[in-house]
Amino acid sequence: MNRRLTCAFALLALASPATAQTINVALNADIRSTNPGVNRDDNTDAVVLHMVEGLVGYRENGAVAPLLAEKVAVSSDGLTYTFTLRQGVKFHNGAELTSADVLWNWTRYMDPKTDWRCRSEFDGRIGMKVTGVTAPDPSTVVMRLEKPSALFLDTMARTDCAMVAIIHKDSLKPDGSFDKPIGTGPFMLGDWRRGEFVSLKRFDAYVSPPGDKRDGYVGRKNALVPEIKFLAIADGATVKAGLISGALHVADIPDSDLPEMQKSNSVQVVTAPSATKHALLFQSRDPLLSDVRMRQAIAAALDLDELVAQASNELGKVNNSAVHMASPYYGEVQRQRYDHDPARVKKLLAEAGYKGQTIKLIANKRATVPSFPVAVVAQAMLQAAGINSEIEVLEWATQLDRYSKGNYQMMSFSYSARIDPAQSYNQFSGAKDTYPSKAWDSRRADELIEKATITADEAERQKLFDELHKLMLADAPLIFLYNQVDTAMVSKRLRGFAPWVASKPRLWEVGLAD
Amino acid sequence: MLRFALTRILMSVPTLLIVSVSVFALIRLIPGDPASLMLGDLATPASIADLQARLGLDQSLPVQFGIWFGNLLKGDLGQSINSQQAVLPLILQRFWISAQIVLVAVALASLVAVPAGVLAAWKQDSALDLSLVAAATLLLSIPTFWLGLLLLLFFGLRLEWLPVVGYVSIAENPWAGLLYLVMPIMTLFLHEIGVILRMARASTLEVLRLDYITHARAKGLSEGAVLWNHAFKNAFGPTWTLIGLVLGNLLGGIAVVETVFTIPGLGRLLVDSIFARDYPVIQGCMLFVAFTYVLVNLVIDLCYPLFDPRVTAQ
Repeated sequence: MNRRLTCAFALLALASPATAQTINVALNADIRSTNPGVNRDDNTDAVVLHMVEGLVGYRENGAVAPLLAEKVAVSSDGLTYTFTLRQGVKFHNGAELTSADVLWNWTRYMDPKTDWRCRSEFDGRIGMKVTGVTAPDPSTVVMRLEKPSALFLDTMARTDCAMVAIIHKDSLKPDGSFDKPIGTGPFMLGDWRRGEFVSLKRFDAYVSPPGDKRDGYVGRKNALVPEIKFLAIADGATVKAGLISGALHVADIPDSDLPEMQKSNSVQVVTAPSATKHALLFQSRDPLLSDVRMRQAIAAALDLDELVAQASNELGKVNNSAVHMASPYYGEVQRQRYDHDPARVKKLLAEAGYKGQTIKLIANKRATVPSFPVAVVAQAMLQAAGINSEIEVLEWATQLDRYSKGNYQMMSFSYSARIDPAQSYNQFSGAKDTYPSKAWDSRRADELIEKATITADEAERQKLFDELHKLMLADAPLIFLYNQVDTAMVSKRLRGFAPWVASKPRLWEVGLAD
Repeated sequence: MLRFALTRILMSVPTLLIVSVSVFALIRLIPGDPASLMLGDLATPASIADLQARLGLDQSLPVQFGIWFGNLLKGDLGQSINSQQAVLPLILQRFWISAQIVLVAVALASLVAVPAGVLAAWKQDSALDLSLVAAATLLLSIPTFWLGLLLLLFFGLRLEWLPVVGYVSIAENPWAGLLYLVMPIMTLFLHEIGVILRMARASTLEVLRLDYITHARAKGLSEGAVLWNHAFKNAFGPTWTLIGLVLGNLLGGIAVVETVFTIPGLGRLLVDSIFARDYPVIQGCMLFVAFTYVLVNLVIDLCYPLFDPRVTAQ
């Protein structure tokens, strides 16, 4: 019997996806590609940004700091950015990083054939335009803008732009198509089995940015384990079983699973507020909801503290602002919020001439967002206040289609993380005739956002964001509810892992205890 | 037999044509498109239009269908919008993974369920019969995802005998690969036992009531000889047909089992592609599934004469 058991466990050891020094991370879906900023989604960015780096990156609090650059100098007119590269940085193939590589990458990214997601952010189509990039010497890159922009470095650091990752020319095949990322990150591509996993190996010649600790995508970035493996696991129950069994070391779980998982002896919960925003959108062109009093009545009908507590399993805190709570621009004004006021609801409904019409509230049941729980609690609160609503549950692709076309009355929706407030406002503000997905169609708001994108002075920007917040509360084009609190279940063997504002796992400076 | 097979294959062409047209049309009737999904919440009408143009989705539906069908006739199922892989190799790679689970599970289930069904019919209304029928009904009623999770909890978490997540190909490491396949195979095996046992019992009961069985018994043949030589061979036809239908169904759709056990099979590929609106993969998968169904049932039909000489493949 003992011999049989020994055999069985020997087989298990062979079969185990985890060798002792491999960190296994669960992803809810496979990555789309390994091409930085091209054919991407959140999972793709999370994995790829372990292999590649840009000139600048986000710090822990969302501020932008040099990464491959040692320093960044901005000219007094705000038009010229001079990046001085760090010395001795090596690509995964051993080649040393020079300004020629940056130049080659910029040319590649701005080529329409590359299909870089963020080309339109820099070619003038939606505002900012880079008019020239030069490399006066091997360690200097100069970028020139058509107009000053407070968002230039922030856009360069954006994770969906892959931080404008600098990869080596050999990342492309001889025919110019993408092969694999040869970057400068602490890990390099090991093996990608589509639909199964992507494994990354430690890059032993990695040169870490300066710093005595991890700091967002900058700071100390040494790989402490020889391999990390991102496994695509769609089923939440399987993820939980994997965590409890020790086969997985890190996984995001829905807030609703938190109480159950906290009972486990082998895992611990780590949380961090992120910049992802959960909101209830109004279609202000809907005959009923075009009346601001109706939208204000709905806002006053919601007991936001209770709604957020229910939807986030008491992790989230109400934030009616588009500015995330960890932002340096989150101040007294941004704390102003809608109050639960049943008497005001009655008054506003009477003024708006509400006759009991049913409002359709669209939601989806993705496990990664609280769309459905928010809708259920909101519906109950609206009902209690005398406002009839009906939840329409849609599959995500269908909801996104309705969102893109502005085809809804109310929608429980989540906006992906945008660190800078101007970019956050840009997500939902704009002319509906041109951009039907925008929830807020206000000329004044657009002017203020435009100013915030070109103003570098922080005090001046704060004033703009303060005015925007007051205007938004009055106009009620949508109700921001709270910033996502990222909840990761982490094996107790794991050392040094922490979620952060960008909602992406980072596996450098993370080790496994024996 | 060859003529019969060729005729059946030719007869499947209109079926496959209807499948290809209907899948092409239906998937485009569902709201949502790959360009919006790829661009996410920051998409603008212009960026969506750009991407649609690049993916060829800006052309009229008849033109899109014409291009796809033209390529299909050349054996090219196109390229995945999501992963940019060629669709046919992708399907074949995933199909092999699903097939090894399904074929083993159905074979094992048949080996257990058919004799059990015959036994239950032979001992009709006995305690054995009632127990077998009750067990079959129970197994049939348990949803596969729940059964899978129970196995996962018991063998993976409690006993720690089998790996909980991940997948290793048998070609890469036969022993490890086998361990990863045990629970998915066991899930399907248990579920299909219920289906096949009930059919085997019902068809055997029907045959056992016929006059020639009474005649055989009157001749003084042993019960074993009556059951095996006279009842079983005649009663097996409907069960064999059912096994074919079960195989055809499962080969194209064990997405739930694959999701629970993180198996990168054809079912998961199809479901993921539907969520991502990856049109070429959806169309390719559906066509492949339909073709597999036709082929499996053709093989089943061709096997009939082996155990029932009254049937000829003409």
